[in-house]
Amino acid sequence: MNIIEIKDLKKDYPLGDTIVPALRGIDLAVAEGDFMSIIGPSGSGKTTLLNVIGCIDFATAGSVKVGDREITALSDRQITDIRLNKIGFIFQTFNLIPVLDVIENIEFPLLLMKKSAAEARKRADKLIEEVGLKEYAAHRPAELSGGQRQRVAIARALVTNPDIVLADEPTANLDSVTGASILELMRRMNEIEKTTFIFSTHDANVLKYARRIVKIKDGLIEKEPALA
Amino acid sequence: MKLILTIAWRNILRHKGKSLVIGVILFTGAFLMTVGNGVISGMAAGVEENIINGFMGDIVLISEAQKSDNILLNMMGSSIEPINSYKKIKEVLAAQPYVRHFLPVGKNLAMVLDENTDTPGFAYLIGVDFAEYRKMFPDNFTVIEGSYPARGERALLFPDFARNEFYSFYNIWFLPEGGKVVKENLSKDALAAIATLPVSSSAVMMGMSSGINTTSDIRFPIRGIVRYKALNKIFGHFCLVDIESYRECLGYFTAADMAAQVPKEEKALLGLEGSDLDSLFGGDSMLVSGYKKAPRQIKAEKIAARNPEDGTYNAVFIKLNPGTAYKDALARLNRGLSEAGTGVKAVPWNKASGPMGSMALIIKSALFLFVTLLFCVAVIIIVNTLTMSALERASEIGMMRAVGAHKTFIAGMFLGETAILASVFGGGGILAGILAVRLIPLFRITTDNDMLQILYGGNFFNPLLSFSGVLLTVFQLLVVTIIAALYPMKVAGNITPLDAISRD
Repeated sequence: MNIIEIKDLKKDYPLGDTIVPALRGIDLAVAEGDFMSIIGPSGSGKTTLLNVIGCIDFATAGSVKVGDREITALSDRQITDIRLNKIGFIFQTFNLIPVLDVIENIEFPLLLMKKSAAEARKRADKLIEEVGLKEYAAHRPAELSGGQRQRVAIARALVTNPDIVLADEPTANLDSVTGASILELMRRMNEIEKTTFIFSTHDANVLKYARRIVKIKDGLIEKEPALA
Repeated sequence: MKLILTIAWRNILRHKGKSLVIGVILFTGAFLMTVGNGVISGMAAGVEENIINGFMGDIVLISEAQKSDNILLNMMGSSIEPINSYKKIKEVLAAQPYVRHFLPVGKNLAMVLDENTDTPGFAYLIGVDFAEYRKMFPDNFTVIEGSYPARGERALLFPDFARNEFYSFYNIWFLPEGGKVVKENLSKDALAAIATLPVSSSAVMMGMSSGINTTSDIRFPIRGIVRYKALNKIFGHFCLVDIESYRECLGYFTAADMAAQVPKEEKALLGLEGSDLDSLFGGDSMLVSGYKKAPRQIKAEKIAARNPEDGTYNAVFIKLNPGTAYKDALARLNRGLSEAGTGVKAVPWNKASGPMGSMALIIKSALFLFVTLLFCVAVIIIVNTLTMSALERASEIGMMRAVGAHKTFIAGMFLGETAILASVFGGGGILAGILAVRLIPLFRITTDNDMLQILYGGNFFNPLLSFSGVLLTVFQLLVVTIIAALYPMKVAGNITPLDAISRD
């Protein structure tokens, strides 16, 4: 069953008087529980595609279905609810809340969902253990390494049991060893939590972790390359 | 809510510099606002106590012919129009349930003459029935030398402030009849010349009017020297004199004149008992708006046997019952007076007191404006600081939005930060302001400046803060907090997850 269905997705950005097409007609279907990588050179449209799927950016034309819901014509409130309940994000620059400690960062989305403090903490405790940061629970993000911060971001992305986790270049700011461990973790979480993962990268080393690879160039999907 | 406040509090601690800037502004604003409200309240209470309760009441009745409503500190030469319909007025006033007390008075300027100099001095005369005056204003001054006149006695109460001025002017030290020089009450100059101090226990005064020159110069026996409880430098220009002597001094109809001209039996025969005597003499050239042609000399006899209310007055001071709706009372009173054909109008105390009332209102408005401007400046600075803070935190806010925080959550976070700062620093400012308002009166700060005395509400700077005044300050702080947070909340709420990514 497809968790994401995209048809003829176009996204243009105005740049002064000219229009720059970022996505020029993407058709894509992503199966539930997949672990998919979007690859392509810089400026190919990877991040834009992820942003549109993640309800962070809006399509200029075309259709995007997340679950069974068309997301291209929703209000800000509805879009926010989808981001909260259906999607988890892992950003390139970790993006944690600096004033909250590790455990509070992880449980943050649950508290936004109005879960009780006890319930949120129980779920966050489980996730922090799974990402191997239990002893850092009371640390602030500034006291963690890049790899540790990205682990926290993974735990936060998964804490709400989302249908999809989107990761935009999750290893870009990490050394190769740490990057590999992060991808291992994502893969493991994909297996444990059965959550669909879509991540963008232009790092060839990352590709070996993907079960499916989608190559994008100049805003269009090229033929899917064979898996390594 | 707990999450919002937790993040807000920690953000305040994280951005200590900005928080401190906003905090100091809020503290200063709240402090000045509290003290400002205290000064305004103190002034209002002082003005009410000293002018309304101590000098002229809530409402003043003056002749409809009176051009200016200001009868207290009117310019020299512009006399107060006479009122000859007091009996009618009294009936109207007695029928008003909201009127607590009223007092008819004569009030005009008089020249103070001295045989040794050509240049006259000036004093305001207030002609009253001393007994009734004491009922209306029981403790507005103290008799520091001599005594308070008995009912119906012809006498003058001279203020000590005017005495000092007249000593400088005439080199005469006024004393009450039979009184001795009291060293403690001497001015510096008089004390220096105590060995050869020329004294007088009477003052020669001549009423001044802009109408027909029928005034008389009268030698008033001084019964006592008085000191007004508050605003002595302003009220200290007003001499109290018995109403009959006052009328004679101004050339008005005295009660004796009225009794002589229209005997009671004749009034009864004519059916004019209690009616306006102007109507009787309306066409008589001898009477011009209450003035009589020939001046009279003061007589030593007591006037208690006659009804002093029969003669001419210039004004009626009225005190209202507490809690009376002021504007409504004024309107009803004017309606009643007009329907009864009294020929007088009711004016509010602040108009009748002229520059004093206006100055009180101006100072009050200026203080209010100052506090409002202070708040506007505070709001602008806080808005700028918080907006900058919102933009600097776009990445963090955008990330919160990306993981599912609604605009309301982000707005709430900013409101929370402002509310915490307002509670801590603004609350501190209010407490400091309350403390200052409590402490200031203990220093007994006084001034020689008349206008500042009005600001002080009396002789001492006495700011006053009631519970409702504190509530008002808290409300003002709340308004400032909400207004200051509105724009930054909007800016923060409009930050999108894409903004966060773009900034990365």
